Amino acid sequence: MSTDGKATIEDLIARTALGDRNAFGRLYDATAAKLLAVCLRVLKNRDEAEDALQEVFVKIWNNADRYQVNGHSPMTWLITIARNAAIDRLRARRTHDDLADVHHRLVAPGADPEHTAVATSEAARMTVCLHELEENRRKAVTGAYFDGKTYQELADTFEIPLNTMRTWLRRSLAKLKECMSR
Amino acid sequence: MMQEHDPDDDDMLAAEFALRMLTGDALETARRRAAEDTAFARRVADWEVRLSALGDDLPPVPPRPATKRAVLAAVSPVKARPAFWRRVRARQALGAAGIVALALLAVFVTDRASPPSGPLYAAEIVSDTGDFRVVAVVDKSSDEVILTRTRGAAPAGRILQVWAHGPDAPATSVGLWPDGNTVRLSLPPEIAAVDGVLTLGVSEEPVGGSPTGSPTGRVFGTVDIPGVRHPGA
Repeated sequence: MSTDGKATIEDLIARTALGDRNAFGRLYDATAAKLLAVCLRVLKNRDEAEDALQEVFVKIWNNADRYQVNGHSPMTWLITIARNAAIDRLRARRTHDDLADVHHRLVAPGADPEHTAVATSEAARMTVCLHELEENRRKAVTGAYFDGKTYQELADTFEIPLNTMRTWLRRSLAKLKECMSR
Repeated sequence: MMQEHDPDDDDMLAAEFALRMLTGDALETARRRAAEDTAFARRVADWEVRLSALGDDLPPVPPRPATKRAVLAAVSPVKARPAFWRRVRARQALGAAGIVALALLAVFVTDRASPPSGPLYAAEIVSDTGDFRVVAVVDKSSDEVILTRTRGAAPAGRILQVWAHGPDAPATSVGLWPDGNTVRLSLPPEIAAVDGVLTLGVSEEPVGGSPTGSPTGRVFGTVDIPGVRHPGA
């Protein structure tokens, strides 16, 4: 995303925080297709994804005033809300259990915007870095992110012991981080 | 030994927290640290940024037009339906169940030791898709709101929560509605003090209520009740 795009979306979020419905509508127009893609990738069902998107934008409306303290780039913030809302739905559908674990943190208190300015334009970089991983490790990372899988579920999928799975994923995440910081 | 955290372990814990893979005690510990430990919170935020690149890379999928309409309706108090009684007079929109509920509410509200001295304000909250309806009566004599469900319910494992706000104010929780078709809730002082348009809404939340103080689940709908006054005013 260009710098202008970022500025515009930040501006729209700021005006949404002030209750500007027109700005909120424009924010929707600018970002909904991207956020629906995230919901759809997680939920794999169009109707559910559209419902989740609706919930996501209500959350954005209700929490827009918390964006500035968050330290995220605007698309990161929006994508994180969308991914987490979709994962909540997926997990509710899958297990109905442990709602206490549904975690609604939208802000990272005390996060420093300067320090966390890892630009979302790094999407391309992420793609490159993901492909530096072996295929099954890549699938473990995307399985955790898009399918909301726990270590146990990943271990079952890959038919390896739980501890091995944890080591795999942690090493893959560390490699990703190293690659993205290059 | 002082509490020390290995930076690499911390970073992995932050990644797992951002991925929401943690459960039980590990989750509680990480949640507490994210709230109290700036360095840890920053690690979590950094991971959210890295991981969101996965989502940013997906090809966009334009949503259906109905979704935008539903979103705008959900956040729009102005779109408030006309006052309930006006619609009743017009013999529209309100189902038989709603009329029965209002009648019951009228009995419920008036059949009290001391008859209400202040005005009653009735309204109906209807979800955009019509799958959820609640009749609400605000009793200014006692500063209570009585709500009755006539359609829909919270999803399994969730409860309803009632919200209210005055003009240009953020939504305040009026109370939880864990079960039953009807609930009577006292209005919090700031809501009781509203003079003018009072907005009521209902959302579905985790069992203990919203963890953030604002609606976090689906907001079924809101309604504006214009001209709310104190009985003595």
